Amino acid sequence: MTRNTTAIVIPGAALLGLAALALTLRPAGRALVSPARLPTRAPTIDPSAAVRAAKRMNRAAGLIATSVLMDSAIEHYRGSFHNKAMVIPLVTSALSLAVSVHGSLDRRPAAHRARDGVYAAAALTGLVGTGFHIFNISKKPGGFSWQNLFYSAPVGAPAALTLSGILGFLAEHIRDTLPGRAPTICGVSAGRAVAAATSLGLLGTVAEAGLLHFRGAYHDPFMYLPVTIPPLTAALIGNAAFGRTRERRPLTRFWLRFTALLGFVGAGFHVIGVARNMGGWRNWTQNVLNGPPIPAPPSFTGLALGGLAALGLMEDHPDD
Amino acid sequence: MRDGRTTVSTDPFAAPRAANGRAPDVFKRGGWVPMRQYNEDEAVDFVIIGTGAGGGPLLAGLAEGGFSVVGFDAGPYFRPLEDFASDEREQEKLYWTDERVVDGANPITMGGKNSGKAVGGSTVHFAMVSLRFRPEWFKSRSALGYGADWPLDWREMWDYYTKAEKALSISGPLNYPWGPKRPRYPYRAHELNGAAELLARGAEAMGLKWTPTPLATVSAPHGKSPPCVYRGFCRFGCSTNAKQSQLVTFIPRALQAGAEIRDLAMVGRIEMGTDGRARGVHYHREGRWRFQKARNVVVAGYAIETPRLLLASATDKYPNGLANSSGLVGKNLMTQSNQAVFGVMKQEVRWNKGPPSLAITEHWNYDDRKDFAGGYCWMAQGPLPVEWVSVQTSSRGLWGQALRDEMEKYNHQVGLKMVGEMLPDERNRVTLADEKDRYGLRVARVTYSWGDNDKAMIQHALGQMQTSLEAVGATDIFRQEDDTNHLAGTARMGDDPATSVVNADCRSWDIPNLWICDGSVFPTTGGVNPSLTITSIAMRTADRIRALAARGEL
Amino acid sequence: MTDRYPGYDVLAKRWTQSWNEVTRQVIDRRLAVPRGPRFFSATEWRTLNAVCDRIVPQPKDRPPVPLAAYVDQKMADGMLDGYRYAQLPPQGEAWQRGLAALEQAAQEAHGGPFHTLPVEQQDELLHRIQKGDLIGEAWGGMPCKLFFEHRVIPDITHAYYAHPVAWNEIGFGGPASPRGYVRMGLNRRDPWEAVEATPGEEAYARRKNHRVD
Repeated sequence: MTRNTTAIVIPGAALLGLAALALTLRPAGRALVSPARLPTRAPTIDPSAAVRAAKRMNRAAGLIATSVLMDSAIEHYRGSFHNKAMVIPLVTSALSLAVSVHGSLDRRPAAHRARDGVYAAAALTGLVGTGFHIFNISKKPGGFSWQNLFYSAPVGAPAALTLSGILGFLAEHIRDTLPGRAPTICGVSAGRAVAAATSLGLLGTVAEAGLLHFRGAYHDPFMYLPVTIPPLTAALIGNAAFGRTRERRPLTRFWLRFTALLGFVGAGFHVIGVARNMGGWRNWTQNVLNGPPIPAPPSFTGLALGGLAALGLMEDHPDD
Repeated sequence: MRDGRTTVSTDPFAAPRAANGRAPDVFKRGGWVPMRQYNEDEAVDFVIIGTGAGGGPLLAGLAEGGFSVVGFDAGPYFRPLEDFASDEREQEKLYWTDERVVDGANPITMGGKNSGKAVGGSTVHFAMVSLRFRPEWFKSRSALGYGADWPLDWREMWDYYTKAEKALSISGPLNYPWGPKRPRYPYRAHELNGAAELLARGAEAMGLKWTPTPLATVSAPHGKSPPCVYRGFCRFGCSTNAKQSQLVTFIPRALQAGAEIRDLAMVGRIEMGTDGRARGVHYHREGRWRFQKARNVVVAGYAIETPRLLLASATDKYPNGLANSSGLVGKNLMTQSNQAVFGVMKQEVRWNKGPPSLAITEHWNYDDRKDFAGGYCWMAQGPLPVEWVSVQTSSRGLWGQALRDEMEKYNHQVGLKMVGEMLPDERNRVTLADEKDRYGLRVARVTYSWGDNDKAMIQHALGQMQTSLEAVGATDIFRQEDDTNHLAGTARMGDDPATSVVNADCRSWDIPNLWICDGSVFPTTGGVNPSLTITSIAMRTADRIRALAARGEL
Repeated sequence: MTDRYPGYDVLAKRWTQSWNEVTRQVIDRRLAVPRGPRFFSATEWRTLNAVCDRIVPQPKDRPPVPLAAYVDQKMADGMLDGYRYAQLPPQGEAWQRGLAALEQAAQEAHGGPFHTLPVEQQDELLHRIQKGDLIGEAWGGMPCKLFFEHRVIPDITHAYYAHPVAWNEIGFGGPASPRGYVRMGLNRRDPWEAVEATPGEEAYARRKNHRVD
């Protein structure tokens, strides 16, 4: 059973991942300017480039929001919504997803107030959620022990919602760039800011996946993938954040795309993981909750898309 | 023949399943694995009587070492995925329910409390608690001033504990609060259920350390074992194979390495040759008595059946039974105190969700500020309804409407149960009664009385456990003052033939090719569940036998 | 006696992932226990039934769990406990002797068969047995206290709490394979577990329990 399932599920997940990647490909006809050939004059500001970058970031934010919506729905259902506030991340991530879809179709070079508001709410919800989760851990016997990190509400999960909110919020900010100006965030080039956020986001997600795979005793060697590949990606995009914006970065691009693919492949592995539990998919009322969380790995995809958007921004608006 | 044994496959009691060149594949419904079979008339290197915590690892270790081995078990060869129902009554089929006579001042409850009858032995029904001895216990007499010394070094046992934990994929905490450092458990500890959380809070309120219990059930997939589904029927047979009993660990390994298993095979007598060596075993299978020739015989029937067999194999030359020049076969029977305190919480605890003992404190195994010898631990509890009514009635004398009223509080109950070290006493023993069982063999008589030290420990523990429950706000607290669990001691190991039955290698002093490898060999029982120690001793014995064979000393 | 888990029925989960095939067969057989005595005589059967009614009195608003039938089945099928106190005869003989001795005590104390006595008198006799107060030839040297503790109580009460009706009464989750439990913490309930009725909320609990599966 398992070998056949693997043969179907993993390529299937990979195909989904490739489809996601297709979202990141630049439209045909857009040539990359190599640094050697760059004229020594003021950078050309192309307003449609900003919108393009913003759309990419809306998509990234939306993908992460989807992952958070499904994951928090399952996990908070498992938690019996024992605190009424546990509904809030479902609402805000659903709204984030909705406005992200809206934003990814929106060509206007202006921030949208509603989208802005939703993204800000998402970022805030994530922070509050992190606070709740930390508080939950502290209340359990043993406090901040491995046992509670394993089994209490996952510390890093709400942060994904914050990341989604930040990416979306930055997307709006980038749209809002005045014509003729390069997009900046707090004085820093937007591309660099998004790259740094992506890098940190990846590292945080690595830590979360690493913790839970550690709980699973790395019983399957593939469980090492999310703690080996994304850290490399984080290093590369982090390096880009502080490096030369004019530099072509094919390696970074490759690892970002590979990480995006990995997010879906991971979901595929989690599908197999659910099937491997006692009773398999027929026992779904237990195994979808107890087994590996299927919506979680695609948050790597969302982050990677954010990183690709960052690279695009840096190339379009070099600042050095 | 008992009627109405229902399984979805064939009845494991009707006829042996390990036959015709194959044995059940416990991981595959209806599946089989090839099994090598040995001729009765050709002496095999080793006959092992009993396939539990002691017999299983020896079967695997010796077969893997190239010896020809046949394992006998009086019990059936279960297929957990198909045979195990979620029902306490039905699952009594895992237990040794043949008659035994109990007496003494504190007669021991047998059956499901301590005696399994199945391929895999008592590990098919055990609660999977897998603890290491405190190192000093191996020298209880010289280091701690009570009991007897083991002829084993704790450092060597520490390595074997690691091997046993690996073989059984123990799921345990990353930091164990007591004892010398140990390597990381192969799998992470399980999530605490409500009952375990209450143990933890109570311990913290008392300033005692606690830990998630190291358990022989996996918290993540392992080979063909799925992770535990927390169904709570652990002591009635794991129907998912998450539990790492002998049946799903060492026995399949043994089969793969060329061992033969004979299920539904009750060994009734060990036959001695004229040369002072055992020459084989008489066993009852498929309606008749048969004989298997053997170069070596290992008795691994646990602390009741092992001495019963040795005593029953008496001849004119060995009037007191086999390997009994010391007179100690059957003596120094030890059980462990298993008293408990129970209460009611306002919250819903629903303690039956998950393994019964997900948290434990071993504080009083390591703290010597006590006015009694020995140690004890206590663990969370989660009895199912029939077991629970048994506790309610025996502890409180309840019946009638009052009983039904109390039982309704089931989902709010909380409990803590001790495992306490009882001291060896030669008057506690296994002898042969005059009654005969269905095989025509004399039934075991189990005589037991608690000593003063045992009683002092029990009262101390009850007081501590009560304090813990009070600290978490339990009400309607009551004590279970009479319960015991596990067995040991009736063929103790030592370094002096005058005061022991076997040596450190589990080899009997009197008969060079007669070995005993189960809990009977414990000189003391410690304050922890015995299974991991039994398995570690068995793994060591397998290594020792291989070393002795290489030196021609078998 | 209010129903703590109104509307909850373990049997409603029979075809869910909480029950497997072997469990269905086992519970079916449990529910189909032969109702007439195969081991006990007619007189013994009458006494036994009366004793069962006192040890586990059952509500009149539902069909009773046939406790005497389960005790009889245990004796008839020879299902042993795995140990026997030295002073007790084997289980079947212990019951026969005990029931006869109880009848004799009933005659001596109250002038009639046990099953005709008012419940207070029946209970009083049972309490005396529990205390160890009844002696006499009919016991044949069997200590009545041990008989009560090791035969009367376990054989009858275990039969009750091995029955789905009792599981419903106490809100026990019942069979659980392959589906076990997800929410193991305090005050957490899986959707396939019983809902306890808090005072005033019986209708709500009943509605939820009807949907348990």
